[in-house]
Amino acid sequence: MNEVVVSGLGVVSPHGDDAQAMFDAVMRGESAVQAVFPDLACPAAAATVAFDERRWFTKLQLPGVDRVSQLAVAAADLAVRDAGGLTDVDHERVGVYVGCGMGGATALESAYRAGGRVPPLTIPAFMPNAPAAHVAMRLGVKGPVITYSVACASSAVAIAEAAKALRCGEIDVAIAGGSEALIVPGVVLAWQAMMTLASFAPGEAAHACRPFASDRSGFVLGEGAAFLVLETAGRARARGARVYAQLAGWGLSCDATHLTKPDAGGQQRALRAALRQAGLQPADVGYCNAHGTATKIGDVVEADALRGVWGEAAGDLQVSSTKALHGHLLGGAGALEAVITVLALHRRQLPPNANCANPDPAMGLNLVPQAGASAPQLQAAISSSFAFGGTNATLLFARC
Amino acid sequence: MSALKDLQNLIQDKYGLDATALGPHTSMRASGVDSLALVEFLFDVEERYGISIPDNNPDLDTLAELAVIVDKLRAAQTAAAG
Repeated sequence: MNEVVVSGLGVVSPHGDDAQAMFDAVMRGESAVQAVFPDLACPAAAATVAFDERRWFTKLQLPGVDRVSQLAVAAADLAVRDAGGLTDVDHERVGVYVGCGMGGATALESAYRAGGRVPPLTIPAFMPNAPAAHVAMRLGVKGPVITYSVACASSAVAIAEAAKALRCGEIDVAIAGGSEALIVPGVVLAWQAMMTLASFAPGEAAHACRPFASDRSGFVLGEGAAFLVLETAGRARARGARVYAQLAGWGLSCDATHLTKPDAGGQQRALRAALRQAGLQPADVGYCNAHGTATKIGDVVEADALRGVWGEAAGDLQVSSTKALHGHLLGGAGALEAVITVLALHRRQLPPNANCANPDPAMGLNLVPQAGASAPQLQAAISSSFAFGGTNATLLFARC
Repeated sequence: MSALKDLQNLIQDKYGLDATALGPHTSMRASGVDSLALVEFLFDVEERYGISIPDNNPDLDTLAELAVIVDKLRAAQTAAAG
């Protein structure tokens, strides 16, 4: 079986489109969350991307290309550039694996709001596999080009599936990640109706999301795209590629109990599967980039799952949810958080569990302090994504 | 008055194709206006003039040809209103 390594990172995130600078901002605890749509009846906050599509598209290339696809094309392109390009690989042996929860929300919202005739390219702009298709067209990828729509676990699942294809030799290179861009009034109203978004006082949007804190009240939406270039370790060695980390294990499971209520048992199965595949013990893993949505129930269940698997080693596992700073990218969350986890491992720096002045004592987790932390001994780290629908995904990265 | 100049302005604004890049008799397809871009452009033209361009012009490929169609439809519109 091939070992799988990470050789390229690309983000178009609420903290910008430079992966290292994004990580620096997260390390500094800078929140990208701000108030949006002041006309809505209930205050709304989100972390949005300052994106100039003219950097990536001519006007002639834009018909039918929703923002969610624009962000994906840009992030995938940046990841491939970071990996040194795709010039030395048969493009039929390259795959694109994309997580996307919703698709082109802007196109759909515009169609509803048109007030008359619906723009003719609404469907190709909206379809959830459009981001993957546009990435493939931009990069000339002719192998498997697949979209995974698994709610909040979408892009973590996409990365795991890409790794499987590399491991078994189906492809030589994978461009794996996700994209989400649904910060439009209609979608925000739908999330508000779900009662899972954080409440906040006027002027306090930046600190609205407080994972694992006693005063947590839910998450804030985010948008963006992130991609990893994955390849076999042998190929990376042969071409002298800079390697950030090994994707040593991944675990997928389903709660099979409830559509939206998380389940510690299901999450533990994903966590254990990732450890088993990597051949590691809990004590070998020093950092967890948690799903950590800051909902009342979600954080408790995730903490239970982590303590259950890590047992006596739980105190040595440092945990943070960076959603406090970049929002919840839903279908793109697993990919952005995988990039952050890879950089945490590569740089041996742990991003803070921000906005947590009052940690909930019931969690029993070793949360990364507000200033972040250095981790000179760090050898392995996990990133978890747990979805509505009950699907759980854990990615385990190790230093090479 | 022919809509040609107006159409040239419209496509320049929408796709950045000025008169040097896309003359009245230049192939739009050859100039990068693929079928999806053309569909969206025709939608904008319909919205602008309040007309409905019949879906029976599969060979439509230049602004001059489009201007002839638009002019006829606008003339019919005026006649109907009169």
